[in-house]
Amino acid sequence: MTAAGIASVPSILVCVKFVPDPAQLQAEPLTGRPDLKRSPFRISTFDENAIEAALQLAAEHGGRAVAMSLCAQLPPKDVVLKALAMGVAAVYLVKDEERLARDPLRVATVLAATARTIAARESLAQWDLVICGEASADEYNQQVGPRLAAALNLPAITYATGLTLLNGVLRAERAIEDRSETLEVNVPALVTVGTEINTARMPTVLQIMGAGRKPMVELTLAELTGLDIDQLKAFPAVEVLDVFSPPSARKQVTIKGESADEIAAELLRRLGTDGEVTL
Amino acid sequence: MATHQNGGSGGVLLFSENPETVGELLTLGRELASRLHRPLIVAAVGRNAQALLDEGLARGADEVLAVRDSQGDGIVPDESIATALCEAIRASAPAVVLVGATRTGAELAARTAQMLQIPCASSCVALEMDDAGNLSVDRRVYGGRFVSRQLLNIAPRMVTVPPKRFPRAEKVSELHGSIQELQVELPAPRIKTMSVNPRSHSQVDISKAEVIISAGRGVKKMEDLQLLEKLAKLLGGVLAGSRPLTGDVDWLPVDRRIGLSGQTVKPNLYIACGISGQIEHIVGMKGARTVVAINNDAKAPIHGEADYSVIGDLYEVVPALIQACEKAMGKVG
Ligand SMILES: Cc1cc2nc3c(=O)[nH]c(=O)nc-3n(C[C@H](O)[C@H](O)[C@H](O)COP(=O)(O)OP(=O)(O)OC[C@H]3O[C@@H](n4cnc5c(N)ncnc54)[C@H](O)[C@@H]3O)c2cc1C
Ligand SMILES: Nc1ncnc2c1ncn2[C@@H]1O[C@H](COP(=O)(O)O)[C@@H](O)[C@H]1O
Repeated sequence: MTAAGIASVPSILVCVKFVPDPAQLQAEPLTGRPDLKRSPFRISTFDENAIEAALQLAAEHGGRAVAMSLCAQLPPKDVVLKALAMGVAAVYLVKDEERLARDPLRVATVLAATARTIAARESLAQWDLVICGEASADEYNQQVGPRLAAALNLPAITYATGLTLLNGVLRAERAIEDRSETLEVNVPALVTVGTEINTARMPTVLQIMGAGRKPMVELTLAELTGLDIDQLKAFPAVEVLDVFSPPSARKQVTIKGESADEIAAELLRRLGTDGEVTL
Repeated sequence: MATHQNGGSGGVLLFSENPETVGELLTLGRELASRLHRPLIVAAVGRNAQALLDEGLARGADEVLAVRDSQGDGIVPDESIATALCEAIRASAPAVVLVGATRTGAELAARTAQMLQIPCASSCVALEMDDAGNLSVDRRVYGGRFVSRQLLNIAPRMVTVPPKRFPRAEKVSELHGSIQELQVELPAPRIKTMSVNPRSHSQVDISKAEVIISAGRGVKKMEDLQLLEKLAKLLGGVLAGSRPLTGDVDWLPVDRRIGLSGQTVKPNLYIACGISGQIEHIVGMKGARTVVAINNDAKAPIHGEADYSVIGDLYEVVPALIQACEKAMGKVG
């Protein structure tokens, strides 16, 4: 908690999205649509890095990191336990069974209200730091971080690759296409991170077992302070018309041979026949 | 002296901090503006404001909206640019807003859209407008394995479009665009820039390459990339890589990254060396005509995305390929 931006013991909020694992998600054979019912869930990839970044800062400064997630349906318990086992102090799950928050505009609006609600519950005047992934693994909007910053009127440092906190000043390394930057901002602030910033820890079995005792708090939209549900419904929307998998047809021929040389020769011969290589 | 104060332009407003991307957005923007019979407007703001203005006029914008700080300073911090874009959108009341989906563009679009309380569809790979002006877009979801087709039916319809998705608009022979100035008041910037270092970038544009040799984490050391570079030279191709090699470690410049968070390529021949073939990578090379996978794990998903698979050690297979190429070219025995 901070007084006038001096964060001796920082309070950190991590935005965690639970998503169907894109690596395991299959298309329904008949429709070509994603078979969401049978897909295992995971913590969205970059949100694991966001948790890791929060935990490292919290450990260094004796602070506390808490996670919040907005979910249309509650994720399987073991996936939530993983976040707790990594080390966040509590996970707040906001249930949105009616799927009112179905696009980044609405998600950020609800998360902003959630951030305020949890801060009050945790007896905090504000969050010193809010950390998001740079993009969610399922939707890849790259929006919710900067939108949440706007909704909470926080400065945002996106695509951070390194973070240090000293006397209420957050120093961040940041990488965009053509340059890397070193930036400074007084907390409170929001940052977004990807895999570049760290390697997320894998909780041990012991930690996962212990995690069951940590708080997993469920909230409904109606319990969020300052959320105008009618406004949420009235926002202009993006309508999803269809979700389909583009067809892919590869030859899938395995090139075999007794030696690397034989294989190389056969591969070149094939590529030559296909007209891809002319030597 | 804002434009279109009464009624709005109903046109297409576009922005990128990168002049080249502005040139590309002008191609798409012109198509949409012609359908709407409305003006095509470029917002010129930020560090490159003058270059954006020049590019806009040179490549056929009907209007450039030059946003100026009422304090007279340049508008440089991203937070200030977002505020400036909000004002530009309010002033011109466009039907469509196009933003280049660079990292900076993604952030600006999201922040601006939230301030205006409007939706935004990110990284659209295809766009189609109907006669009523409704915009349907295709976005990649679930790592790129699926496409989500979405409809934006309320103005301003804001979308971001990846760089290099469209060809740069031709230069016009006679400039016809006008320049409108828009003064905005900006909040004090909260983020301080302490230092800036340019990141290395390539001389080649991998999105135009005919042959690509692509390196993944199966490559153990940076020096080993020379092996792949050699193969690339022999085949008249260029070297590219997966996200780990172009980000987690900076062995290759980030503009050589292929995939969801990198470039989309469509070479004739794509040779993936030591790449597992996660969906976020595959989506960037799906357009390749012929795909070769070299990976020592028979279960790696890349084999399912390949025309020709070699299940083997790239440190044996690639040198053998180099030798076979040299042999075929008559260099060796
Ligand atoms: C939102 C999001 C966006 C992403 N965007 C991108 C993107 O744009 N581009 C991208 O590439 N990734 C992207 N990723 C990351 C992606 O999920 C994978 O983590 C990444 O592509 C893996 O890179 P890799 O194949 O090089 O490494 P690994 O997955 O570690 O694979 C290495 C492979 O090399 C093989 N190998 C090891 N040694 C040898 C040897 N001696 N010979 C032959 N083979 C060997 C192994 O069998 C293994 O299959 C993104 C992820 C997310 C969540
Ligand atoms: N439903 C959600 N609940 C919690 N955090 C979210 C949610 N959706 C997005 N985020 C956060 O915002 C980041 C970017 O998401 P997106 O804009 O969807 O690409 C994610 O990595 C999360 O940190």
